[in-house]
This record gives sequence, C-alpha cells and structure tokens, in this order.
Amino acid sequence: MSESRKESIFKRLAEAVVIGDTKMAEEAAREALAEGIQPYEAVINGLAEGMKVVSDKYETKEYFLPDMLLSSDAMYAGLNILTPHIPKSETEAKGKIILGVVEGDVHDIGKNIVKVMLTAAGYSVVDLGRDVPTSEFIEKAKNEGAQVIAMSTLMTPTLMSMKTVEDKLKEEGLKDKVKTVIGGGAVNEDWRAKIGSDAYGKDASEAVDKVKMLIDTILSAVEVMKKEKKKE
Amino acid sequence: MEAAKTLGVDISSICGGKGTCGKCKVRIQKGEEGLNPLTDKEQKFLSEEELNANVRLACRAQLTVPAIIFVPERSRVGKQRLQTEGLEVPVTPNPLVRKHHLILPKPNLQDVRSDEDRLLDALREKHDLAGLEIDYEAAKTLPIDLRKKNWDVTAIIWKNKIISIEPGDTTDRCFGFAVDIGSTKLAGFLMDLNTGNVVSVTAKMNPQIPLGEDILTRITYAMMQGPKGQDDLQKKVVSGINEMIDECCKKADVKTEEIYELNFVGNTAMQMLFLKLWPQHTAFSPYPPVIRRGIDVDVTKLGLLSHPRANAHCVPVIGGFVGADSVADLMAVDMLESEEIVMDIDIGTNTEIALGNKDLTMIVSCASGPAFEGMEIKHGMRAATGAIEKIGIDIDSLEINYRTIDDASPVGICGSGLVDVLAEMLKAGFMDTKGKINNDLTDQTDRLRKTHEGWYEFIIASKGETATGDDITITQADIRELQKAKAAIRTGAEILLRRMNLTKDDITTLYVAGAFGNYIDPESARTIGMYPEVPIERIKFVGNTAGTGSRMCLISKDMREYAEEISARVHYYELASDVDFQNEYVQAMFLPHRDLSKQPILTEILRRLGRIK
Repeated sequence: MSESRKESIFKRLAEAVVIGDTKMAEEAAREALAEGIQPYEAVINGLAEGMKVVSDKYETKEYFLPDMLLSSDAMYAGLNILTPHIPKSETEAKGKIILGVVEGDVHDIGKNIVKVMLTAAGYSVVDLGRDVPTSEFIEKAKNEGAQVIAMSTLMTPTLMSMKTVEDKLKEEGLKDKVKTVIGGGAVNEDWRAKIGSDAYGKDASEAVDKVKMLIDTILSAVEVMKKEKKKE
Repeated sequence: MEAAKTLGVDISSICGGKGTCGKCKVRIQKGEEGLNPLTDKEQKFLSEEELNANVRLACRAQLTVPAIIFVPERSRVGKQRLQTEGLEVPVTPNPLVRKHHLILPKPNLQDVRSDEDRLLDALREKHDLAGLEIDYEAAKTLPIDLRKKNWDVTAIIWKNKIISIEPGDTTDRCFGFAVDIGSTKLAGFLMDLNTGNVVSVTAKMNPQIPLGEDILTRITYAMMQGPKGQDDLQKKVVSGINEMIDECCKKADVKTEEIYELNFVGNTAMQMLFLKLWPQHTAFSPYPPVIRRGIDVDVTKLGLLSHPRANAHCVPVIGGFVGADSVADLMAVDMLESEEIVMDIDIGTNTEIALGNKDLTMIVSCASGPAFEGMEIKHGMRAATGAIEKIGIDIDSLEINYRTIDDASPVGICGSGLVDVLAEMLKAGFMDTKGKINNDLTDQTDRLRKTHEGWYEFIIASKGETATGDDITITQADIRELQKAKAAIRTGAEILLRRMNLTKDDITTLYVAGAFGNYIDPESARTIGMYPEVPIERIKFVGNTAGTGSRMCLISKDMREYAEEISARVHYYELASDVDFQNEYVQAMFLPHRDLSKQPILTEILRRLGRIK
C-alpha cells in the first residue's frame, strides 16, 4: 500500500473527529483494517491527530461542549472498530490512568471530556465514574498498576475529598509509584500546592498535557531503574 | 480596601476582597514604596501598562504609610439596585404574637391568688384564652411589671406562652421583623403585626462575603475551620441583620424591644450557617438537609437585636439545594392551590425550577453559576450605576443602541444586558446558534476583533464613550460561560417537563423569580432559550419572593402552616441522577435549543433572518 493511500486514511480519520462525523470515522477505520494498517498507528496518526485539532479549537473557545461531544462520538466510533485489533500491551505500555469525580460530587461532564482526550492520546483509562469513594481510587490504582490518578470536582466542599486521597497515598507510601492530577471548576493551582498533588489541569487539554508529563517522568524513572539493574 | 471602607469610599468588589475578581483596581499616586510587594493574584489581573502606572488591587495592597490613592470610575460602586422588590400577596394578619390589654383586680385578704393565677384567670375570663403558661424569664419580674401602672397591663403572648408583661395599654405597638437572608444581599422588613403592613425596609450586602463569595466556599470555610468557622459565619450574618433591625427601627421610631417575632427565609445553606448547623454533609451528594421542617429558636441563642424573649422562626426547606426561598416562591405564586399547570423559575447562582399544580408539584435545582450576575465575565458587573442593562442591534445597519442604569457613562454590563447581547448577536448574525462568534464578519465590521488570548470579542461600547476609557466587550469565553448558565436552567426545565409527561404548551403561566429576573427582557431570555418557548404574555415576573414569603410567614400562622405543607408535599427531583441529563444539557447549549421542534416561534424568526436553515 502506498504511503499516500495510508496518509489519506489517517487524514479522513482525523477529519471525521474534527467535524464529528461518526459514519465517516467508522468507514475510515474499517478501511484502515482492510488495508492492513496497524490499528494502533491508525489511532495515533488518525483519530488522535483529529482530537488534537479539536482540543486546540476548544482552547480558543471556538469549539464548545456540543462540538466536543460530537467529536468524541466520532472518535469512539472509530476506536470501537480499531481497539479490538490492538494488543492490550500496546495501549498499556503508554500508560494507565484511574479517572473519576471525587466522593460527594456528581458533576461529571468535564470528567467525560478528559476521558475522551486521554483515550485519544492513546492512554488506557479506567473510568470510575462519579462520587467515587476515596479508597476506590487507591485500590484501583494498586490493582491496575496505574501510574496516574486523575480526579475532578466542580464543588468547593468536595475539594476535601481530593485531599483525603492525596493523604492516603502519602500514608501508604505510594507517591513514588502513583502521581495525581486534579481539575474541575472548584480546583486551582493554589489548591494543588496546598494538598501536594502532582499537577493541575485548568481544562481538559491541559489535563492531558499534565498526564503525559507525569507518565513520562515515571516511565523514564523506571527505564533508569531497569538499566541500573542490568549493570548490576 | 479596609482604608477605603473606613473613609466611606465604596470600592467595587464581587469576590468580597479575596483577590479573585480583579474589579477593585486602584492607582497609587503617592506612597507606593510603603506598600507590600505585588502579590501573585494581582499579577494575574494587572496588565503591563497598569503595573507601570502603579495600579494595584485594593484588596491585596496593604498600606503601612500614608498614601494618595486614586479610585478610577470602573472601580467605584455607584448606586446599587436594592432588588428587594417582590410580588405583593395580600394576607390577613394572624400572627403568632398577640397583645392583650387587661386591668387586673388587686390582691387583698379575700383574694390571695398568685400573680400568675390572677393574670391567667383574667386572660381566660376577658379574652377567652385557656391553657396558657408563663415564661420563666417573664415570671422573674412579673410582680414588678404588674404593679408598675397599678395593675393596668398588656400581656404579650406567643403561641400559648406569656413572654412579657408591659405596663399600660401597648396593644397598638406590636412589631415583627422579616428577613430574606440572601447569600449576596440581606433584606429586612419591619412589620406592624396588627395591620400586616410594612413599616420600614432596608437591605445590605451580606457581611459573610469576605469569608466566601458563594455558599459553597462559605461551607468549605466552616468545614476547614470547624466550630470557630461556623461561629465567624454566624456572627457576621447576625451583625448584618442587627444593623438592619437597628436602622429600620430608627427610621420608624420603634424600639428594638418592641419586636416580638422574627422570621427568616434563606436557601438551605444560608439557614444552616445562620443556625450554626454543621453544613458539611449537606454539601456532599446526595445533599440531605439537616432539618427540613421550620424551626423556632430563642433570639438570645442567636444574638439577635429584639425583645429578649422574641422568637426567631426559620421557614422550612425542601432539600439541600432547594431552600426556604423556594418554599417562599411557591407560596407567593400559590402553586399548591393552582388548578392549571404553572412553572416557576427562580434564577440565581443556583436556579430552582418548580413545575406542576395542586395535584403534583416537582422541583429541581440547577447549578447555573454566577455568570448572569457578572462573575467570570470580562466586563460583567452587578446592576449598579453605569451598567449596560439593555442592548439592541439593528438588523440592517448593525448599529448598536444601549441603555445604562441611571443613564451614566457605561462601566460594564449587568445580567439583563448580557441576556440582551446574546439574543441580539444571534439575531444580527454576529454569533451562530452554537454560540460561536461569526469571525467571517471581521472585514465587514470593526466591532469584532481577536483578543490576545486567541479568541474573538465583540465591542459593545468603544472606549470613547465609556467611563472606563476602555472598550466594553463580550468575548467568546464570556459567551461560553453564559451558555453554560442558560443551558443549566433550560436543562432543568426540560427534564421536569419530560418527567411529568408535559410539554411547553401545558404551561399556563411561567413565573420568573429572583432579583435579576425582574430586569431581564422576557423576549431576549426566550430568544436565547433560557426557558421553554411559551407565549410572552404567559411570562410573569415576580421579583424577589424570598422577602415576600418571609413577610407572609411573619404576619400569619396560616402561612407558616402552608409553608410546612409546601415543604412536605413538593417532590424534589435530583437532576444529576437523570439518565438524560448530559444529553439534555448539550442540546440546551444551543441558542435557543438544538431541538427546533421545541420552538416553532423562534425557528420562524431565526429562519426569516437566515440564522438557521
């Protein structure tokens, strides 16, 4: 298959996400499989590229929630076709995130957008939903071997639930292995500093940048450790 | 900020001095070297140009030496609208406090009844009152009070308790005080309990604001500080209430001791903070209130200025986010007696929507946020002097007309102006139905430009005509905030209609309550889809009904019973648990709404203008 043919499929996948065309995303995804394109490559160079454009438009307020949801529908439509053909190890290698709205809060629209963007960026996301008990964040992070816990809340009083998770992680000595990123209407940089969380994302696209930064730090630290071990 | 307050210079602040709104910019003309260094928060709000001109935020800059400070026009408060007006509902006075005049027979060797029996017997014989008892505190000075005017006395009775004895006939002086505890504003009404008339009125900003700009930050303050924090919050609001009582009494030449009953209406959180109920668990899903029923408390326990044995009554609530203010709304519009289906929308930071009639009424609470109050809007402001309150755009010439409060030079835009600007931009094609500013028009008009943040803004008043010397604009980011607010309200209304198997056409009257509601243009609000499309003549503005409800419950025990009935009978519906919530919310983001079948009138108008296909 020619490079240009491949490029054109990637382009259509991206375009489908940008304009939020579910049908187009499905067709392009099927075509990618039929043409023997590596499905992981189709996600990263196609769907994820489209999501990047969407994310930029969201940041300059050109796109808003309705656009985001159309785009995410298109993205999931493409993913549903491609993911069954991707070996699990490939997505997990990039990083795993535990995501949820903290205990006491049920406002989850923002969280759902973060999920779309993280998924688009190729991460494996475990979505715990909303009003998630503190212990569940930590248990899931341990059981799933996740690198990052991402928490959000819209309401001010439930900020305390974030602190509880943070304190628990410290108490159990997990801070080296599991990093946290926080966001949502009530959250700001001051609060992050106050509770000692690792990062704050002011919106969905910044949250993804912060997750990438955290995961890269952890994975490179693991690499260094592995090398050290080899030397021994 | 403190210094300005002491000097009586009102500096604008929405956040209450927390450094988060950036509205209190002042220029230091002399003495800048004696100030604390620039804070992070100030750096966020001040431009390079302002920094060079020694501009600071009044709430962050601390004075240690005498200084000369210039308060620019935009940072001045101006005259603020009290917004205490609400629908007047005539109620026959039937208060819980009664005064009865008596002339008692003196004790002698043939009549050695106790002072208490003498009083109780006379009340039974002359006024047919049985089953009374005397308050312990009143009993302490009973012998003195009875004999002061030679057994000519007035007994003050609350429910079945004699709370005080006054010498002589004072029956014509019986007062009560009704309060609306708003999270931003307090309103107080001194009432004559004999006639049910308002004697004097006042309003003031809620002194709790510096401890938290909204109810949630105040609850968080209490949670973090514990009982001391609760104490701070309670004392602040009580000090504000006491100042109002004092002021109203002075105006009307009434002594504070002549107030025998007080009535309070606020949202659930405000009442919790006022009563010092632990607020944490109500702030967490599923938001259960601590107490639902109305409650009577001794004024001394709350520190209120009045007769020492006056009673303070808090009206019942419905849920954690549906408070006594909602009960007051429904009472004022008499929803539980209505044969026809009515909808009541009380617009605020939290918007409550009720739908139904005498058979069934449901109510929801929507997190609409403070955007319509001017918060998080670049040139947003409260309804005060210089606020642009009305805007029109000529469809053909694209020329803009606006009106400001007090006809002053424009300083910013208040809620009603924000609603107008969205509606007019949509009709004129400056914005599409998704809320996106139409940047294709940049070459046709000089009103559109790109901001340094990377999005577009629309110029409403250019710097030559404003009081601030800056353009007054609405940005794409502002529009997004307003869309969120209006979508939250509309979602609540749509979900209620659906769950009750009703449509917009079943609504015979749409009541719009809330301080801000009174000033919005019903047509503009409908154009942006804030509420379902009903004929304009079915929309009625009822203003701030919390004050109305508080007065009604003060002067009539029947109304107090009605409030209990409303609280018990109205069904609270949790929007967050609704499976359609997200889908509805996204559809409601569109202006007016994504589903054109819900809005034949607007579809026709917008189609004619070429705004929708």
